[in-house]
Amino acid sequence: MNAITYAPALTAGRVQLANVRARSLIIARIRLLVILGLFGFAAVACLARIAMLGLFESPARAASLAEALLPSRGEIADRNGVPLARAFPAYALWFNPDALGKGSPLVGTPAEVARRLALILPDADEAELRARLSVRRPGYLQRRLLPEQANRIHALGEPALEFPRENDRYYPQGSLAAHVLGYVAADGHGRVGMEQILDERLRDPALRGQPVELAIDMRVQGALEDELGRGMLETEAIGAAGVVLDVDSGEVLALASLPSFNPNRVDKAVNSLVFNKVTNQVYELGSTFKPLTVAAAIDAGTVTDLARRYSATPFGVGRFTIKDSHPLGASLNVPQALMHSSNIVTAHIADELGPVRMKATMAALGFNERPYIELPARGFPLWPAGEWPRITAMTVSYGHGVAVTPLHLASAYAALVNGGIWRPATLEKVPAGKAVKGRRVFKAATSARMRQMLRLIVSDGTGRKANAPGFRVGGKTGSAEKPGAGGYRKHSLVATFAAAFPMDKPRYVIIAMLDEPKGTAAASGQRTAAWNAAPVVGRVVPRIGPLLGIVPDDTRDVDLTDLAPLVPGFGE
Amino acid sequence: MIARGLAMRRIGWVAVLAVCLALLVGLSLRVNALKSEVRLAERKIVALRHETIYLETEFETRANQQQLAQWNAVEFGYVAPGAGQYLENERELAALGKAAGPDAPAPIRVAAASDVPASALPTMVSPLTGKPLGEEDDPVDAAPVDHATATARLGERLATVEHPKIAATAKAPKPEGKSADKPGGTP
Repeated sequence: MNAITYAPALTAGRVQLANVRARSLIIARIRLLVILGLFGFAAVACLARIAMLGLFESPARAASLAEALLPSRGEIADRNGVPLARAFPAYALWFNPDALGKGSPLVGTPAEVARRLALILPDADEAELRARLSVRRPGYLQRRLLPEQANRIHALGEPALEFPRENDRYYPQGSLAAHVLGYVAADGHGRVGMEQILDERLRDPALRGQPVELAIDMRVQGALEDELGRGMLETEAIGAAGVVLDVDSGEVLALASLPSFNPNRVDKAVNSLVFNKVTNQVYELGSTFKPLTVAAAIDAGTVTDLARRYSATPFGVGRFTIKDSHPLGASLNVPQALMHSSNIVTAHIADELGPVRMKATMAALGFNERPYIELPARGFPLWPAGEWPRITAMTVSYGHGVAVTPLHLASAYAALVNGGIWRPATLEKVPAGKAVKGRRVFKAATSARMRQMLRLIVSDGTGRKANAPGFRVGGKTGSAEKPGAGGYRKHSLVATFAAAFPMDKPRYVIIAMLDEPKGTAAASGQRTAAWNAAPVVGRVVPRIGPLLGIVPDDTRDVDLTDLAPLVPGFGE
Repeated sequence: MIARGLAMRRIGWVAVLAVCLALLVGLSLRVNALKSEVRLAERKIVALRHETIYLETEFETRANQQQLAQWNAVEFGYVAPGAGQYLENERELAALGKAAGPDAPAPIRVAAASDVPASALPTMVSPLTGKPLGEEDDPVDAAPVDHATATARLGERLATVEHPKIAATAKAPKPEGKSADKPGGTP
């Protein structure tokens, strides 16, 4: 500005030069400012864009695809990956009376629409539908529709009938393994079974994309439920329970409590059938305890000679008299006592063992605590507290006075035959070689001896109906009278068969239990386990054996030759 | 001159800028088009996966254990295989048809031996030639190959590769009853 003010005082040439210089300087400055401004604007724009991206933009597209495919609740599968429970987008039928504005909610009359809906929905009540459609109140007309039903209802041309897609829990196998799986209630949380236990894991967005694999084998479960159901119908029993357990890992391959419920019908699932007889109901399991007593006695060294004969005549202890269901002769040795299931001889063996060691063995088998399994419903055994008197040890020796769940018995039998190691039962799949260490209850030699005797019971004793050819089944029957008002009830039995197979290298324990079986013609008029529970095992084993990799073989068996001289009429 | 040069340069810059902008707009349009294509494809994938899950679940439901067991009980009656249906190893397989011991009688074979003479069976006729099956086979072709002579004559055979036309004219009609002793031929 100074240059312009002084310009007239200077010569023309110099003035011009100074003018040009000043002007170009100004232009240069202005340009510099403009460019600076542009750069500044660009920088601000970039920052704003970054901020917008950070604040408002949805995350990358790759994530959205995974998100769209993520189930609303994780899938539950069996050990082979077969889906047992999955999230399933289903159609519901919703009545929206405001879809057509203020006027009548329906195009046709409510009666007409209800009639046509009833034609499409076979289990709907037409009168009820008419009543619902006549009132201006939104609500579900049906919670679940098949897609073709939705299409046909759509073709009715009623805008008030809407089909919201809802995420539903669906169990393709129906009532199979219902007690293991449980169901999902309307609040979206699992109930009863693994749905309840794994609820958080199944709803966690980070984990629910991967299915949870259970230890259950769906085919084994199917066979067990099928045969138990058949046994229950044949004997008119009021209930049945069964479990198949891997003896080396404690995995539960099948667990059935009948009659069952359908987890797909949540509205009808809440009833007494939800009660799990395998893990929650305690029973006095009777003679199935005898092999445990004999094993404890062999282990403790009070039975050293299997040929030794014990008196089999009824005897009194205090005000009790211990007797057998029918006379078995004057005396019996240990294998005979197990084969014919003698209470008297077992009581003598337990008496020699003593209450302290008897109680210690039963406690080591987990009979003094709730069963180890993931399920929420686990029954507490009826366990005599304090120091056991002599009579308690005697009654417990043949399965009275202590009430446990069938799952307790399965775990105990697994320890009895697998070499003496007790392991907790689990419903989670155990990878090979990752089984829990467990605790030793019996010596390996005792376990080997017991395998022989259990096999003997099935080949020549009370368990003959369970002798599936080629599968080397071994086991013990148990028929216990149920306690009622004023003592035991003579005609209400709990018939149990506890078995393991193949006995030369035991792999699986199988328990079948029938609650109050009747002496029907199919059971030859008998109520005891030899006639109803044992045949169930005899039918289940050939069905599940080949599936579990156990090949039936007539040329293999446990070597019973050293027991043969002790059992007159062996092998006949 | 200088001012003109400057103007030219300025126009040049503007032109370059305009071209770049045009390219940028074109590119971003293309990118957006691709993006929406990807989005469509993703939506299709999601729909198809849902469809797969639906169909899979329907299949699982229709083929559930209880359904199959009932179906088997009514319709098929399949039972689990027994011990006799398994062979443990190659040794057992090899011993399958053999006598049990050195002096044991030979095992009874249960293959069906028909009393009906072979001629009573209808002869299978080749659909191409209309002759009974096996009739048109050349006994020389059907004979087992002798490897020693075949190797020795390899060079000779390769040297005389037949021309299809010549081969067709050279092949003489077969004499009657030539293959009477061959399997499938009528005696």
